[in-house]
Amino acid sequence: MTKARKNARQLIGTGMHRVDAAGKVSGETRYLNDMPLKGILHGVVVRSPVPRGILKAVEPDPAYNWTGITVATAKDIPGENVVHMHDRTMPLLAEVGAEVRYRGEPVAVVAAKTLAQASAAAAHIRVEVDPLPPLLTLAEAVAVFKSTPDKFDSMKSQDIVKGDIAKGFAEADDILEGEYEAGHQEQLYLENQGVVVYPQKDGSIFADGSLQCPYFPVHELNDPLQLPPEKIRVRQTPIGGAFGGKEEYPTMLIGYAALPALKSGKPVKITYERNEDILFTPKRHPVWVRYKTGFKKDGTLTAIECDYILDGGAYLTISDVVMFRGILHCALAYRCDNVVIRGKVARTHSMPCGAFRGFGAPQAIWGIESHIDAVAAHLGRAPHEYRQQIHIRPGDSTPTGQILSAENGSTTCLKQALQRADFARKWRQSSQGKLRKGQQKLYGVGLAFLGHGSAFTGDGEAKFKAKGRVELATLANGKPGVNIRVSSTEMGQGVHTIFTQIAADALSLAPEHIRFPLADTAFVPNSGPTVASRTTMVVGNVVYRAAQDLKQQIEAFAAQHFFRGAAATLKDSQLVAKGARPVPFAKVAQAMLKEIGGASGSFQFNLPDSIRWDQTTFKGDSYPGYSWMANIAEVEIDPLTYELAVTRVTAVIDIGRVINPVTAGGQVEGGLTQALGYAVMEKMGTGKNGLYDAARLQTYIIPTALDTPEFDIHFVEYPYTFAPPGAKGVGELPMDGLAPAIANAVAAATGRRLRQIPITPEAIYEAVHGGREGTP
Amino acid sequence: MSNVTRTWKLNGKSVTVRAPAGRRLLDVLRDDLGLTGSKESCGEGECGACTVLVDDEPMVSCLIPVGQLPNGTEILTIEGIARKAAGRVIQQAYIECGAVQCGFCIPGMVVSSYALLQRNPKPSTRAIRDALAGNLCRCTGYAKIIQAVKLAATRLAKRTR
Repeated sequence: MTKARKNARQLIGTGMHRVDAAGKVSGETRYLNDMPLKGILHGVVVRSPVPRGILKAVEPDPAYNWTGITVATAKDIPGENVVHMHDRTMPLLAEVGAEVRYRGEPVAVVAAKTLAQASAAAAHIRVEVDPLPPLLTLAEAVAVFKSTPDKFDSMKSQDIVKGDIAKGFAEADDILEGEYEAGHQEQLYLENQGVVVYPQKDGSIFADGSLQCPYFPVHELNDPLQLPPEKIRVRQTPIGGAFGGKEEYPTMLIGYAALPALKSGKPVKITYERNEDILFTPKRHPVWVRYKTGFKKDGTLTAIECDYILDGGAYLTISDVVMFRGILHCALAYRCDNVVIRGKVARTHSMPCGAFRGFGAPQAIWGIESHIDAVAAHLGRAPHEYRQQIHIRPGDSTPTGQILSAENGSTTCLKQALQRADFARKWRQSSQGKLRKGQQKLYGVGLAFLGHGSAFTGDGEAKFKAKGRVELATLANGKPGVNIRVSSTEMGQGVHTIFTQIAADALSLAPEHIRFPLADTAFVPNSGPTVASRTTMVVGNVVYRAAQDLKQQIEAFAAQHFFRGAAATLKDSQLVAKGARPVPFAKVAQAMLKEIGGASGSFQFNLPDSIRWDQTTFKGDSYPGYSWMANIAEVEIDPLTYELAVTRVTAVIDIGRVINPVTAGGQVEGGLTQALGYAVMEKMGTGKNGLYDAARLQTYIIPTALDTPEFDIHFVEYPYTFAPPGAKGVGELPMDGLAPAIANAVAAATGRRLRQIPITPEAIYEAVHGGREGTP
Repeated sequence: MSNVTRTWKLNGKSVTVRAPAGRRLLDVLRDDLGLTGSKESCGEGECGACTVLVDDEPMVSCLIPVGQLPNGTEILTIEGIARKAAGRVIQQAYIECGAVQCGFCIPGMVVSSYALLQRNPKPSTRAIRDALAGNLCRCTGYAKIIQAVKLAATRLAKRTR
């Protein structure tokens, strides 16, 4: 190896420090509410006071002084009153004469010079509704599904069928059924939702927002605003957390703010305070899932039948795709030839549910991982040993008939996690309902095993064709360098850092030459939304290829202009050619900018032609790649108070090539902590008044620094070789398995299986003392 | 509400503010004085994103009416901490440990970390968890933040020796 080669710094695989950290630790990073804005109006949304009814009137009080105040109602919507989303049924604002379908459904927007003026005026809009009886909760919808299935209102249904389920049950020696439930979960990003819409002289709009998907508003608001995509420009502001909560909803906010902005000709800002943000933005879908499994005496699964129902809320929005991801994860991780999964999205008169890290998969995995433990217990088998027998591995076929390639580290994850946690020994020490000698607390250890599909479902990426550019430019510091131009947004997950690493390695440039400006649809091509655990795998590949394209252009220019036609190579931030003195990159870049006005490398993502997917039958390759995790939780339960502590969590994970082990570790620790909250403390339902029954941080409890366990996180790498550098998804997977792992640990500690999360001390008490949840 | 006039030592400098007695310290800092490093998230004292030091004690500035802070009160915000040597050591440790994700809780976290290390230069893990329990973070799971406080403590101990 030559000296130069030895010194070549490769950034992929290193824990390079975050490129955005300095401004964040100093408080200098300006989030939306930190930006000084002059001459703007503040908008307030006026909402339906009841969960369901016919809207009779939305009228400003004639006695109130409306000077300087702009009121927009459905009458002010320039075009068709519909936000596209997935089924074009949800109005931007409810119309008089039509049905309002959830408590808090927007009916008007009021804007004034100060927030106080706008709020005061909003209270003087009379909203009259003739109430109709609502169906508020998933429990009510499931009761209808069980008693009178033809009356059940499903906004979208989809089945997965593999093999012959009747044959599977006929072959079974035994059958076990179980139902599992989970409620809403709030994303609880620390920075509340907010946007500013600036109306432009040409009738177009320009929006700044804390949002994950800048191109969503560009393509979702054309009909209501009567603006083509090129007349809606959206720019990302620094995002104080999102977790899916800023995926589809900011489009609504931009729509709300655009109405008074277009009417008044002034910029309008809408930011929510915490209470409004919790009450009136989408949550994780509540789920009811029922499994019926058939199995042989030796444990072989012969049939898996599953009903998976999500509470979609009042409108479908994006819930169809959440349900699709859910059913694709309902039986993914185990070998079985006969499978039927029936997914449904129930309509209820509540705030539409939406995207939240995991997107239907955590609900599915909560069910299957609880149920597989129950099957193991039924068979008298240890949960780890049973999963080692039946888990899916390369060469096996999934419920949609996809054959897993060798790039799936499922077996390694399971094996290594069991070793690292010393599971077999700890399993034997589990209390099983009775304190063992030396134990002060009931102790239990539990396991969950799962795969998570990376990127859009099915042929989504093949159809979408994510685009991106890497451009030569004069950077903000005045020096020549490279800008990454993709629509992926930095929301804390670290994409600005890891794309800098990827571009730096592909170009062989030091990272100080590379910038990743915040996404602005005026400057970035559409590389897709920052969702679905797709960014590193798909857009990371786009950046890598685009950077390679730019590298070739730089080398060609250098050969011609600096090396008299001799072949040049960009290496370690300088251009080198045989027998010539190296030229620094900055010098060549400067010359390119001056003489040919710059250069741009680009790439468009494609899936291999071998990918097959049938969106009607849900057969084929449901995801381009899968990440895997085995997740182990240890719990201690106070035998007097049933207070529960999760003391240690082990996770062994295959996310393909790890671009940055520090940011990847941070994703996992953070995701596991959200899953911890989901499992044991974050409790939210729909109250009788149609509002969530936990609406502030005093009632919606998330984990603090005192609640988190000791983490042991380890990555094993089975790269996705089709898309260098070979990453698979990491964002969502850590959310998937900890709830069932904890429930399984609680079962090992108490001898009782809890079938509903969150598992609170009250729920454990009920289970132990013969409450309805407890089954031995 | 009647206005009050107060002269405080804010980030080491004398500052006079005039505001309604019930106006929140957070609003005076962010809107009147342009110190936007302190963040508002919950607005009811639960999340700690607006934490500042008031006479060396970490407090949530969203719950403090300015009329309650007498003349001479010493207030230190993230902007002031960023100018202190120990503050910079803590910030650097946060960067190196990967303790920052979305960043919205971080100013409050750094303020609470600074207050902890001022009164307890060698905190145990438990003491760090206790000291940060009033600062919610939704991104990190706290592990790397705790690691950063430990690293900062080690470095600060070396400096003072």
